[in-house]
Amino acid sequence: MNTEQKQEKLLFAERPEWSDVDPIPQYETSTPIAPILYTPQYKDATDYFRAIVKSGERSERVLQLTEELIRLNPAHYTAWQYRYETLLALSSSLQTELELMNELAIKYLKTYQVWHHRRLLITLLRTPQPELQFIETCLRVDSKNYHTWSYRQWLLSHFVDDDDLWRGELEFIENVIGDDVRNNSAWHHRYFVVFGCGVRSGSEDRARIVRRELIFTKQNISLAPNNPSAWNYLRGILDYNRLPYSLCTRFVKPYTLPLDPNTVDIVDLENPPPSRGAELPCVYAIEFLADIHEKAGDKDNILKGVDLWKSLANEHDTIRKKYWEHRIREALQSAT
Amino acid sequence: MEDGIRLPCFNRAGHVAHAKRCMSALPASQTDIDASRLALAFYNIGILDLLGVMNDGDTISRQNGKDEWLEWLWAQQTQGKYGSGFRPSPFMLLHPPAEEFSDYNTPHIIMTYTALLALSILRDDFAKLDRSGLIRLLRACQRDDGSFTTTPGGGESDLRTLYCAFAISAMLDDWSGVDVERAKSFVTSCRTYEGGYGQDLFCEAQGGTTYIALASLYLAPSSSETDPLTLEEKRQTVKWLMSTQTSSGGFCGRTGKVGDSCYCFWCGASLKILKMDHLVETKTLASFLADSQFKFGGIAKCPGEHPDPYHTYLSIAALCMYPPSPLAADEKPDSWEFPELDPLLNARVDTAEWARKYISGKGHRT
Repeated sequence: MNTEQKQEKLLFAERPEWSDVDPIPQYETSTPIAPILYTPQYKDATDYFRAIVKSGERSERVLQLTEELIRLNPAHYTAWQYRYETLLALSSSLQTELELMNELAIKYLKTYQVWHHRRLLITLLRTPQPELQFIETCLRVDSKNYHTWSYRQWLLSHFVDDDDLWRGELEFIENVIGDDVRNNSAWHHRYFVVFGCGVRSGSEDRARIVRRELIFTKQNISLAPNNPSAWNYLRGILDYNRLPYSLCTRFVKPYTLPLDPNTVDIVDLENPPPSRGAELPCVYAIEFLADIHEKAGDKDNILKGVDLWKSLANEHDTIRKKYWEHRIREALQSAT
Repeated sequence: MEDGIRLPCFNRAGHVAHAKRCMSALPASQTDIDASRLALAFYNIGILDLLGVMNDGDTISRQNGKDEWLEWLWAQQTQGKYGSGFRPSPFMLLHPPAEEFSDYNTPHIIMTYTALLALSILRDDFAKLDRSGLIRLLRACQRDDGSFTTTPGGGESDLRTLYCAFAISAMLDDWSGVDVERAKSFVTSCRTYEGGYGQDLFCEAQGGTTYIALASLYLAPSSSETDPLTLEEKRQTVKWLMSTQTSSGGFCGRTGKVGDSCYCFWCGASLKILKMDHLVETKTLASFLADSQFKFGGIAKCPGEHPDPYHTYLSIAALCMYPPSPLAADEKPDSWEFPELDPLLNARVDTAEWARKYISGKGHRT
């Protein structure tokens, strides 16, 4: 145990360098709702924190106090706020602060304040590049953490003109999807990179981009058909580019049928067939094909759609029976 | 699907006891609730309200000191240069209490929303409410992009806070504290290709924030004349929401995730707002929530986990919108009866009516 760790075992009330401060207890009414039975350490740290806030002190020891307090309660937003203001008042090294945050972020991955503080630091430091690596480390701990992904999207959109920052993003997200094709956060991020955050130089040829995305998505569906994230992404590409779903009719059809045991491995980039061993028919494919029929609008197509919805309601997706019946009613109404 | 499901008894007494326990004292392991204690109080008082032990027969008022709860809640109202509202707890309040205003003991918008609902459940007359102060607080917290910060000094800003600002304005029946159009355009910008809404610009669609977005849009004053969503948008959102009910019966928060009791509320209430609640399979939903009940009271996020007031409240709120039916005699139908819920404010209908009447100050007894 080094001296610093020993020091942290002492209460602030026992530390000589804090003897000039009079701790201020928390005021509470006589019959509080859900009082927390604080540990002596937390009570002590907050007593000193209230005293510091009252006197308005901004000093190195305030940084120490707020750090220790945050470790006791990372959701203490006032401690975070006071710490940030103190860092600015002292012109402290924000880089050093960021390094400390590398440890705290992983420890408190689900705390809002950790990420908010980090955004404030990076906004001032304007050093987004190393953050990408840091985020990857966080994603290794929790590959679907909402705060972590939001932070990456904030970073990239905040520094949207930084080509170096953006250079490897498509490759990055390709790898994350490769690691877990069912990670919806990764698919969402791909949408953000390719469509959501504007057109980057080098990707002005939108027809090429759309073709690339369609092939990528279809291949992933072919490998794992029952993956709603990929199907939603497929719809996303078409919707964003105002393309009709019927562009995918040939691709979708084999996924709506039981697996054909006589399927031969053919390489068809535009319409990759279901892989061997796939669990078919696929609910998402049936839904997609029904949407194509509904969109066509004529009676014949509507009835084909109705048959597909019926198969979902009664056989393949019975938990949503009422929803599929609702779709049938809606389509039949619009047809008459 | 519903055939073959036999529900156990819904452990009402256990959940009441759990809520009361969580109101008395919390262990040190829950220190992180220090900065959101009022929300916890709201969930517990809300559980008692939804289970009908708060204002039916008034058992609570005599046994548990409703007056003391009121006293504590009002003690969290704080005034200052940024306006007025409620703080999460006295965690930054000095002893002895100082009169002067501190920048570090400010009202918090999310806590203010939960305080107003908790006080409504307790049928407070809101004579002590600083209404113009609330309006000033909302103004101080709205940012240029239309979103709101949690506290006037800063703090994170995202869709959650915007919803609370809208709910407060609706209860006040006074929208002069918010720039509604700017806020609505922020909500719209959080919509994703999946049909749900993310927490912030560019974020992934999520059940909780989708509820927040829809409730905000439908609370806004103009929503009664013009539907905030186009037909196409509505269909896409319903499709996405429906897809979040998993085979376990529980709803999940994001595409491809597992069922979690809190999303039974967030996604369920979203469907209710869009008037599509008749499409939800209620019995499998109830079965998931029944299995998430903890032996000694309280409901967990999923079967086998530990319960907490947040998941307990939201599970029961979900059951208020989706009471299971039909029930056989051996499924203890009495235990599965719930009052109607106002999905926009997230409170019993009679509590929401009280809130709109007395918080606006328009229902005061003359």
